[in-house]
Amino acid sequence: MDKELEHRFVTELENNQNIVHKVCSLYTNDRDSHNDLFQEITIQLWKAYPKFRGDSKFSTWMYRVALNTAITLYRKSKKRIKTKDYDSLIFKIKADEYDDTQERQLKLMYDAVKQLGDIDKALVFLYLEDKDYSEISETLGITEVNARVKMNRVKNKLRTILNP
Amino acid sequence: MLDELELLKKDWQKKEEHLPKLSYDQIYKMIWKKSSSIVKWIFYISIIEFILPHLLYLVPSMRNNLDIYSNLGLTNVFLVISILQYVVIFYFIYQFYKRYQEISVLDSAKQLTSNILRTRKTVKHYVIFSLSMVLLTFLMLIIGIYFSDNVLETLGLAGKMDSVPIEKAKFIIMASFAIFGVLFTLALGGIYFLLYGLLTRKLRRNFRELQKLEV
Repeated sequence: MDKELEHRFVTELENNQNIVHKVCSLYTNDRDSHNDLFQEITIQLWKAYPKFRGDSKFSTWMYRVALNTAITLYRKSKKRIKTKDYDSLIFKIKADEYDDTQERQLKLMYDAVKQLGDIDKALVFLYLEDKDYSEISETLGITEVNARVKMNRVKNKLRTILNP
Repeated sequence: MLDELELLKKDWQKKEEHLPKLSYDQIYKMIWKKSSSIVKWIFYISIIEFILPHLLYLVPSMRNNLDIYSNLGLTNVFLVISILQYVVIFYFIYQFYKRYQEISVLDSAKQLTSNILRTRKTVKHYVIFSLSMVLLTFLMLIIGIYFSDNVLETLGLAGKMDSVPIEKAKFIIMASFAIFGVLFTLALGGIYFLLYGLLTRKLRRNFRELQKLEV
């Protein structure tokens, strides 16, 4: 691991850190675990960096490693699960206090997305990031048809969470 | 709903300005931290599981058991079984290492999860094998006792069970070995599968989720 490689990696990650932060904000519920997950993703990215050939964009490559870390490699501790209940409680009260209907709707939507399972979250995340179905299916390792079917089910799930 | 998701998408893309911003130095420090990923956990726990059964032989009472084998006339059987056991163990370690090497964060989520679960499965098979060997060891001891003429001397019980007829004493010893053997195996198995279950719960749930639609 030479200095030049380190420098190139850190610079690229610094410029693209938003992707990692967005994954962290979806998969964690408090600042500590956000930082924790950010660190784990950084470690995994760095470990895999020598294999990054540059035939795809650094950011595209990051999506895969970041999501894989959040979905598969990252281990949540019990303490953080407690914080989650606490957070979503505050979240609900706040959402009810909103006057603006659209703002309130958005709050409810974010809350609903946070309640989804790990895989569904990844689908929504890639959708929100404007990725097409071929990229979604490749990242998750399912066929494109299945990715579409799954996305429709997620939409239905969100609808049920929003209108119980 | 579609419109609502579109709305969310627009808002999501505006959210960027509220995200935290880490400096070059902060990120640089992070790349030297130690990973605490589930793969690391599985790796270390698996190593312990490979070593643990062998540490049992270092316990003095276990070594005495080896003497019991020779006194019960089981030396050769024991030797053959030991050799077989080590061949199988090395096969498992090789398999484990090979599968562990295949784990890559650059695979798709499904492939990655599947590879981790496969690695874990190797260890699971190893543990089932080890537990069977424990049971087999007890079974051999019981058979040895059955055919032995000087059980009480061998087990150091001479003089302690004189009031009991020898056939009955043999039966009692065999039965206690059997019960102890089964309980011991169940306890080890219980601890292991609990650990295994807790460690891979999330992986198995996500893998099922990814598999659900595949035909």
